[in-house]
Amino acid sequence: MSGGLRDRLERLRAHAAAVKQAETEAREAAEAADQAARPDGERTADGRNGLPEGSSAGGAQAGPALFAGRDAFAELGAEEVVTDQGAFLLRKAVYPLEHRHGHYLLEQLPVYAAELKPIAARQNKKRAEEETGERLSGDIETGKLLFLDTETTGLGVGAGNVPFMVGIGYADLQDRLFVVEQLLIRHPGEERAMLSYLLTRFNGKTHLVTYNGRTFDWPVLVNRFVLNGWRRSGAEPGHLDFLHPSRALWRHTLPSCKLSRIEEDRLGIIRKDDVPGSLAPELYMRYLSERDPEHLRGVFLHNERDILTLATLSIHFGGLLAGRLGAEWALPEESEELYRTAAWLDAHGAEAYAERLYEALLARRGEPASERWVLPAAARFKRLGRLDEAASLWLRAAEAAERSALPSVEAHVELAMLYEHRLKDLPQALRYAERALELARRKPLPARDPARGRAEREALARRIERLLRKSNAPIAR
Amino acid sequence: MNAPFPGKAQEATAEATFRPSPDRCFDRLRRDGQAFDTNIQKIKKSSARLSKPAFPARLPLLGEHVFCTMEKKGRERYEVNPWTGKAATVEEWLDHLRSNPEIMANVTYWHTQPARPARTVPLPASIDERLRGALKRKGIESLFTHQAAAFEAVRRGRSVVTVTPTASGKTLCYNLPVLQHLLADDSVRALYLFPTKALAQDQVAELQELANLMEADIKTHTYDGDTPPTVRQAIRNAGHIVVTNPDMLHSAILPHHTKWVKLFENVRYIVIDELHAYRGVFGSHVANVIRRLKRICKFYGNDPLFLCASATIRNPREHAERLLEVPVELVDDNGAPAGEKHMVFYNPPVVNQQLGIRRSSVLESQKLASLLLRSGIQTIVFARSRVRVEILLTYLQELVKRELGTKSIRGYRGGYLPKLRREIERGLRSGEIRGVVSTNALELGIDIGQLQACVLNGYPGSIASTWQQSGRAGRRHGSSVTFLVASSNPLDQYLIQNPDYFLGRSPEEARIHPDNLLILLDHLKCAAYELPFEMGDTFGGEKLTDLLEFLEEEKVLHRTGDRWYWMEQAFPAHGISLRSAAQENFIIIDMTEGHRVLGEVDRFSAPTLIHEEAIYLHEGVQYQVEKLDYPEKKAYVREVNVDYFTDANLAVELKVLHVDQEKASPSGAIVRQYGELMVTSKPTIFKKLRLRTHENIGSGPIHLPEEELHTSGYWFSFSEEAAEAKSANDMQSALLGLANVLVHLAPLHLMCDPLDIRVVPQVKAVHTKQPTIYFYDRYPGGIGLSQRLFEIHDALLAEAGRLIQGCGCMSGCPACVGPIEEVGLLGKDLALGLLRRTEGTA
Repeated sequence: MSGGLRDRLERLRAHAAAVKQAETEAREAAEAADQAARPDGERTADGRNGLPEGSSAGGAQAGPALFAGRDAFAELGAEEVVTDQGAFLLRKAVYPLEHRHGHYLLEQLPVYAAELKPIAARQNKKRAEEETGERLSGDIETGKLLFLDTETTGLGVGAGNVPFMVGIGYADLQDRLFVVEQLLIRHPGEERAMLSYLLTRFNGKTHLVTYNGRTFDWPVLVNRFVLNGWRRSGAEPGHLDFLHPSRALWRHTLPSCKLSRIEEDRLGIIRKDDVPGSLAPELYMRYLSERDPEHLRGVFLHNERDILTLATLSIHFGGLLAGRLGAEWALPEESEELYRTAAWLDAHGAEAYAERLYEALLARRGEPASERWVLPAAARFKRLGRLDEAASLWLRAAEAAERSALPSVEAHVELAMLYEHRLKDLPQALRYAERALELARRKPLPARDPARGRAEREALARRIERLLRKSNAPIAR
Repeated sequence: MNAPFPGKAQEATAEATFRPSPDRCFDRLRRDGQAFDTNIQKIKKSSARLSKPAFPARLPLLGEHVFCTMEKKGRERYEVNPWTGKAATVEEWLDHLRSNPEIMANVTYWHTQPARPARTVPLPASIDERLRGALKRKGIESLFTHQAAAFEAVRRGRSVVTVTPTASGKTLCYNLPVLQHLLADDSVRALYLFPTKALAQDQVAELQELANLMEADIKTHTYDGDTPPTVRQAIRNAGHIVVTNPDMLHSAILPHHTKWVKLFENVRYIVIDELHAYRGVFGSHVANVIRRLKRICKFYGNDPLFLCASATIRNPREHAERLLEVPVELVDDNGAPAGEKHMVFYNPPVVNQQLGIRRSSVLESQKLASLLLRSGIQTIVFARSRVRVEILLTYLQELVKRELGTKSIRGYRGGYLPKLRREIERGLRSGEIRGVVSTNALELGIDIGQLQACVLNGYPGSIASTWQQSGRAGRRHGSSVTFLVASSNPLDQYLIQNPDYFLGRSPEEARIHPDNLLILLDHLKCAAYELPFEMGDTFGGEKLTDLLEFLEEEKVLHRTGDRWYWMEQAFPAHGISLRSAAQENFIIIDMTEGHRVLGEVDRFSAPTLIHEEAIYLHEGVQYQVEKLDYPEKKAYVREVNVDYFTDANLAVELKVLHVDQEKASPSGAIVRQYGELMVTSKPTIFKKLRLRTHENIGSGPIHLPEEELHTSGYWFSFSEEAAEAKSANDMQSALLGLANVLVHLAPLHLMCDPLDIRVVPQVKAVHTKQPTIYFYDRYPGGIGLSQRLFEIHDALLAEAGRLIQGCGCMSGCPACVGPIEEVGLLGKDLALGLLRRTEGTA
């Protein structure tokens, strides 16, 4: 056939490089103007400028030799653990419970942990159904929580995504300590040893405390166990995944629900010199090719803080469920967040504490009532049969709708129903219904689903017709 | 490039203004009624005897007969013409046809395949009673010989490929052993692969029906992009039979194999239907997906059997073994019955003696189809391009509007959304839809029932495809008919003149090239993602360590000791599509009222089909492309009503990167080479062609970026001596003429889609400085097509010579070197002369 395989591969590479170069040049040309406007030193795509420079120790690690590497790891506080499955590195950090991470002290963890039960109940429904033999009380005990956060080589939960670092945390109540352990593999061959050690750490724990661990960290770990020959036996661990509650509270009030954003804006945690988690894969690849552990310094630090933040989140949500908000803790500034928190408490069986927040919400005046919480809050009062409160909110919403470019007619319709059925005031009902139809006609049909828009108009027209009939008003005037 | 023949008036019925077709070549004999072959003679006699009214007066609706009872896959079905309440048999319709001299004058050959009785054997004694009972309730009390043979082979632990025609009950060949085993052992799993989602859904329906009849808890599910996330987990853990497609296997199942432990630990059977569809680029990818599948099965300690079925190809067993890389037993003793089958070769009449223009094959196909439809005969029309489908559909709907209503004639092609396709398939099965115009999208075994008549608008490009398409008409009892309507394309004209070439030849080979470096490397990455590689592993035909080391250098893999691990952030399967053409489809958005997704177009077709100002046809409605967002892969169209369609030109530039092989002819007149090429292509202009007359009524530029293709190619150039005394103009004509012939002959030898291989003639090529003809594979890295052509070069040129010489035209026609407008008055002589001189005879 053609020349050797190597030759063909080389030509392939040459071509790929040429294409890439051409593409880069084209892109650079296109971006030239854009670039000129930017200040110098802004973080480049590879993030190099974004890295903390590590201490000067990095300079001393000249050679890529393994020995040098081992020493540098020791400097990072990581030590080799040898098991019958092989070796891996373990880094341990121990905090006294008096340690403060953000707004809270770690010693508040045992105070609020038990309050987290409703969250766990929600997140482990399926597991509870599966469990027949082993009865799980679902109670949360501080000592039985395992805080978990992994750093992986890639995205997604496919078979090829490797968690190269597994950070775990647990409280040692006897010694009043919070322990963070970080397991690191120096190459993929050490994975089995790390996993077998990790399994021993699962002993005696009932719940994994994570941020997005239900859909990411845990499935990724399960993959690794399967790939290394373990098979699932017994129960899935319970989950306490704070991504979902965080989204419920802050989806509309924070620009994103990334952990770092929540830390900064809601938990009072400011990270200095932090390596963003998204850079971790690249840093690990760089470590693999250069063998310089210094690349991993930032990753260790980032992961350790993540584990601590999981404890802080546990305290925060535990405190919410214990009714601290509006008591010891200040209410959220934004009404939207206040409403979301109230609704979340409602959904987690803390109706009494929710009520307190709803009342605060009703008391807030003078805000633009076009906010999205008004209608759902009104619906809640309607559900509870508290029409006075509902009506006051509908009136606000109706007023806002009149001024809106894309009005919702829900408030008008609710008011029309209220006047018709409860207050028996047909002219008022008719007034709101007609107003609603006018609003519906004013806004354009939704592009994606014009049928829905038409149906809304037709329903309103029918309502008006019925009201006219009922009030015996002359139809043509 | 611009309208080449300005001002020339042409016949309104011509196929295309710039492609007048010859009459001298083939038609003289037939017109004079002198030397018909014996078949035609017979037909003539019978038609004289019957002397029924002439065409195109509508064929009378016949008799009060009920259509014979049709039965497919156990369903009883009666068909009565719902519009007249009357019904006719195809036989009687054909009798009327035979008596119509106007039509019969265009029939060049009438081939009849006699009906074939069933050959059956009793159900094997070992068959589970529940299964036996279920089959009985479906009316199956014995097996066709091929079904029994497949069952027996699987019982002996052999992998099997069954090759029998459409509607021969081949699904039972694999369902029987699988169900038998599942009834005996509930833990067993089977994985079914179909090339399309529609086929998968058909299969699940059939399996579920059987499971219900057996009252057995056999869970069969499709697992594809449409499967709701909520049921996915249940399917992964508890599905006995998982029915999916190779794309899904590649991008969703294999990379997540750890979630499929239950399946991979227990899968005993991998069923692959429509095996012939896995050829060319797609097949080469699928072969690698199967390598990965076997690797994963092995990891879970499993070694499943492969149960395959294929339409007729020349090399089913070899193809199966190349695709699966396991020994396979061939089952091809078809025991299913079949009704009588008529294959009618039809050449449109010459309408202009001077210019040698034939009536358009589109118009003739439409005529035949409407005759069939008006007589209540359920008919399928195959056309070679999407545009043709839409044009034919428009014409037919118009024609039968009053009698049948437009909804009873539908179009079907890639680019229609799945929901619409399912609706059409259902309509065809129930008989509500009386006619369908389709691209080869309906060639695959999608269940549309068995129709009675088939009209092929143009030769489908391969013998295998022709039989498959014509197999859409034909039932186990009762006759069916297929019309092959020739276009003015050289290959069509060659075949219509030489029916033996078609009828006497076995279908083509299916070829794949799984070791195409790019394809292999792509799947190697996916495989490494799924499981690390170890020294001593094998994967494909190339030296694995070299490949792994290459990927290591590229920092895609990380080596620790004797193992290579995936070490990249990306998810490799995402960037790799198994279907080159389907790679990154363009979405077509209709803005006539709001925004509505109309359909999609593959990337290769996009520059010529949906450039700005193009007329895009969908379900017979015209849309004009207002904006093509190339980076976003979206085309915005608006409904229009114009009397033209558009046709775009593509300019191609070639650069030789590396020569791998070289060979000179004995006389030294021709040097041929094989190697790597860089091809740059760019759409240039489009023409507006009037509907029906296809007259050029304007043109415009296309502004789109050029595309690069790094591929393998084969080219040959003529020496100074051979080219001697030829002006550049003459050489241009000679090369163009030769290329026109070769472009049609090459796909015939390769059984590839004609679009997979390209031919480009150059009078003074940059690389050779000589007159040169290039061939290249239209897929990055090549898929072995040019290489094969390099090997059969001598035979290819000899055949080209024979074809040109054997053509009856004077100085070139579309059936050989091309029309004189394209190759000049001397084109034919020049091409032939060039060939002769290279043989050393001049």
